[in-house]
Amino acid sequence: MNSFALLSLYRSLTRHKLYAALNIGGLAVGIAVFLILSLYVRFETSFERWLPGYDGIYLVQTENKGIDSPFTGTYPNTMGGLLEQMKQDFPDIVGTRFNSGSGTVLRDGTAREEDIARVDADFFKVFDLPMVVGDKASALSDPTAIILSRSAARRYFGDVDPVGRTLTLSFDKPATYHVTGVFEDLPRNSDFKVSIIARQGKDFSSWWYHWGSTSLYTYLRFDTPAAARAFEQRMPAFIKRRGTPDMGDKVVEQIGLPLLPLADAHLQPAGKAVAAKKMTIITLGIVGVLTLLIAVVNYVNLATARAGLRAREVAMRKVLGADHGMLVRQFLGEAVMTVALAALAGLILAELGLPLVNAAGGLTLGIPYAVVVPALVILALVIGTLAGIYPALLLARWPASQVLSSARAPGGGRAGTRVREALVVFQFALAITFLVGTTVLVAQTRHIRSTDLGFRREGLLVLRGLSDDSLDKGRRLALVAALRRLPGVEAVTTANSAVGNTDTNNFDNLDVPGKPKPGPSLREIEVGRNFFETYGTRLIAGRVFDDAHPADDAGALAKGSTRNIVINRLAVAKLGYASPQDAIGKTVGGGSQRTIIGVVDQLRFFSPRLPDDPTYYTYYGDLAPYPIVTLRFTGDPRPFKAAVQTLWQKMAPQVPFMADTGNQALAKFYEDDDRATRLFGIGAGLAVLIGCVGLWGLASFNTARRIKEIGIRKTLGASSADIVRLLVGQFLRPVLIANLVAWPLAFVAMRTWLAGFDDRIALSPLYFVGASLLATAIAVLTVLGQSLRASRAAPAWALRHE
Amino acid sequence: MIRLENIQRRYVSDEVETTALHDIDLHVQAGEFVAIMGPSGCGKSTLLNTLGTVDRPTGGRYLFGERDLAALDEKALAQFRGSTLGFVFQSFNLIDELTIEENIALGLAYRKDAGDRRGRVAAAMDKVGIAHRARHFPHQLSGGQQQRAAIARAIVGDPRLILADEPTGNLDTANGEQVMNILAGLNAEGATIVMVTHSPSHADMAKRRIDMLDGRIVASAMRAI
Repeated sequence: MNSFALLSLYRSLTRHKLYAALNIGGLAVGIAVFLILSLYVRFETSFERWLPGYDGIYLVQTENKGIDSPFTGTYPNTMGGLLEQMKQDFPDIVGTRFNSGSGTVLRDGTAREEDIARVDADFFKVFDLPMVVGDKASALSDPTAIILSRSAARRYFGDVDPVGRTLTLSFDKPATYHVTGVFEDLPRNSDFKVSIIARQGKDFSSWWYHWGSTSLYTYLRFDTPAAARAFEQRMPAFIKRRGTPDMGDKVVEQIGLPLLPLADAHLQPAGKAVAAKKMTIITLGIVGVLTLLIAVVNYVNLATARAGLRAREVAMRKVLGADHGMLVRQFLGEAVMTVALAALAGLILAELGLPLVNAAGGLTLGIPYAVVVPALVILALVIGTLAGIYPALLLARWPASQVLSSARAPGGGRAGTRVREALVVFQFALAITFLVGTTVLVAQTRHIRSTDLGFRREGLLVLRGLSDDSLDKGRRLALVAALRRLPGVEAVTTANSAVGNTDTNNFDNLDVPGKPKPGPSLREIEVGRNFFETYGTRLIAGRVFDDAHPADDAGALAKGSTRNIVINRLAVAKLGYASPQDAIGKTVGGGSQRTIIGVVDQLRFFSPRLPDDPTYYTYYGDLAPYPIVTLRFTGDPRPFKAAVQTLWQKMAPQVPFMADTGNQALAKFYEDDDRATRLFGIGAGLAVLIGCVGLWGLASFNTARRIKEIGIRKTLGASSADIVRLLVGQFLRPVLIANLVAWPLAFVAMRTWLAGFDDRIALSPLYFVGASLLATAIAVLTVLGQSLRASRAAPAWALRHE
Repeated sequence: MIRLENIQRRYVSDEVETTALHDIDLHVQAGEFVAIMGPSGCGKSTLLNTLGTVDRPTGGRYLFGERDLAALDEKALAQFRGSTLGFVFQSFNLIDELTIEENIALGLAYRKDAGDRRGRVAAAMDKVGIAHRARHFPHQLSGGQQQRAAIARAIVGDPRLILADEPTGNLDTANGEQVMNILAGLNAEGATIVMVTHSPSHADMAKRRIDMLDGRIVASAMRAI
């Protein structure tokens, strides 16, 4: 590009300010959306990649191959003692366990909950965690050693060097540990939530070496992927050798130990859950790319449309000696420069918009300029070339003599119009698909927040911590009694499960007399007094537990004696009864017999993505085992929670206060989808906006080009309304065709997404019709203003216009 | 048929006021063929546009028959043009994206009482000798053919008044003659024509000649037959 070409670009931009604003603005918004969504995708796919040597670390998974089991699927955890058995059989392997969970730090008589992980002495040989102070080789050699995260060190020791000092931790019973090092706080893109790392002792519970159990994470390090694969192939023999005593001869058919590269673990779903997260990331990535594509299409569309207006300039340049190549270079150069300007504006927009996106998505994304700036330079070159090549070739091809001798400017003729119309169809098809997607996403996330869970989610408070080892049964009962006396409390219950609780998953096979054994697998929930009353469960048949019936209380019965159970609606079908009434009085079970006394409606405690379980309830009159407290209260949750906290800290100061309202407990199941919906909505909204900017630009250009035609039509008697109909109709056609493209696209995409939910909305045609009407209305409004203005112009003026 | 009284047309742009027409009084009888002549910028086209209601006068009265056109709104004027007037322009003003046949049919597009559209379009094409070019696009035709097509578009709706703005201005002599003969023929069949022209010989083919200068009518003479 020479200086004249630059001048020409500058003039072209400043003379046609609106065109330049639409062209650069639309592309800038597209680039900003693309940039932000790319950052999000990059964040979600960067988990654990910050860790030096992450690519040599593999997670040992447990694959349950059982057929009719709720646990079928691949889980990220293993048996506690697996690594010990592996080391005995394969002495060369390097590995560590990672037993994460909450524990408490006891200081000055109060307890504070911390994320404490217990690991093996070889931890640093696997995880090369960046250290602030301390020696990796020796930091965890002593079983009483602990290392703290930078912020935990500051929390407990301020600015003093913590190495050599002590802390009292309680993860099973309180003990004193000495600090040997401090590690850097883990970044946001890590699934390891840990502030204190201690040594894993031997757990002598029967489950520690029980094959089939899953209690902690086991990581191995391999030098090469081939070494990992070779190790994986030796697993079946190892499983058979070690697992047969617990699981019988067919252990290899029941269990597998596949390895998963650490970097893949973040997006790997556990168990039966479908790859929802992965799909969300892919979808948002696609939205980003398509939004950019829409913006590029806009650019091409406006550029080719406007190219015709520069035909005379091109012809003059040719007459003055410019050859084909020079002209192509000039227009390509202009396109690249314009896109570079748009990229700069897009970067600024992204920087300005990022705080909003972070707030909407609960993220802490930042722009890594070292990566983004070179990427944008490449983007400008690629998009500039792609967007500029068509108009450049088109402009350079026109024969100069024809252009100069003709009164009319070539605009690409009917073919050019068709190309532009096709591009509008493409844009609006995507925009309508996005609109349908957003509506369905919003409707589904609304639905799962308002769907009938079988209980009222407001006015519930769930308290964990009652099962803490430091509380004996007497103190637990006293706490429950004191909670019941609090003002505002309507009901109190204990159970080994509660809304939002995913820690306890007990399943049992209930044999049905006269049917093949083992019988169907059902979830068991052990409940204390007033459980169904507290949750407000609907009784369908029979009765719920009552202290007046001695056989109800499993806690008071001798082991092996027949106890009464309540089952839920899904269990009725699972056990093979014709109706809830039919189930009442029936006795099921293998070892200990259970008589069904009642059928209740479903209680959905868990993720809406997972199928609800057939469940049976066992009753423990005074207190459920491993109790979680659920309170039903009236009034404002905030002061109520504060009152509960005061009581808790008075009666159990050594146990951290861990309370969630019903809505808070459920929120974690909704977070990912809510975030995806918001990001999708923002992306989709902007994509539609860019589409409209393009349509507006094209409409304004076309209207300008047709001013003479409008004049002719008006002299022939066309009214203003006729002209508006003509101009709007011209744009309505591609938008209507776009609907036909968008509907099947949106249908397939949304059906796939909804399939990830067990509890989902129906894909009503209203979403499609609604989105189409909206898109059409937006399109009409976009072109209406200009059409009205053009239609009102005096025909004499229009006819003089050239 | 037409009566203009004290017609004025002023243009205001960027604080400069230009008066294109000064107190024009003009009567045109049905069946007349009027030629308007004068140097460039004297107001010929403005007068013609005013007659065609595509430009509104800033003062005076325009009576068409018994109707005061100043009282009509935009919509009514559009209907009036569609049903009563036919236009022929110097630069033809055919629509590039439409075929000749479609361009001519456009002359009936905004009329509710068009009747047999196909038949009327065919008849108009026959009348100007352009039927063999019906399916062509304007840029595929010579200037003379394009102007004949434009005349066909003007007459397809049987207008009471044909307004022609330098209809031969872009044509060579032979084609110009041809176009003038068509217009004279239409006049002979009863059409009323007002034509702006620079050509004295073409003006002589009209029954009356009006000379304009600086927005005023300076002479009006009947042709001696």
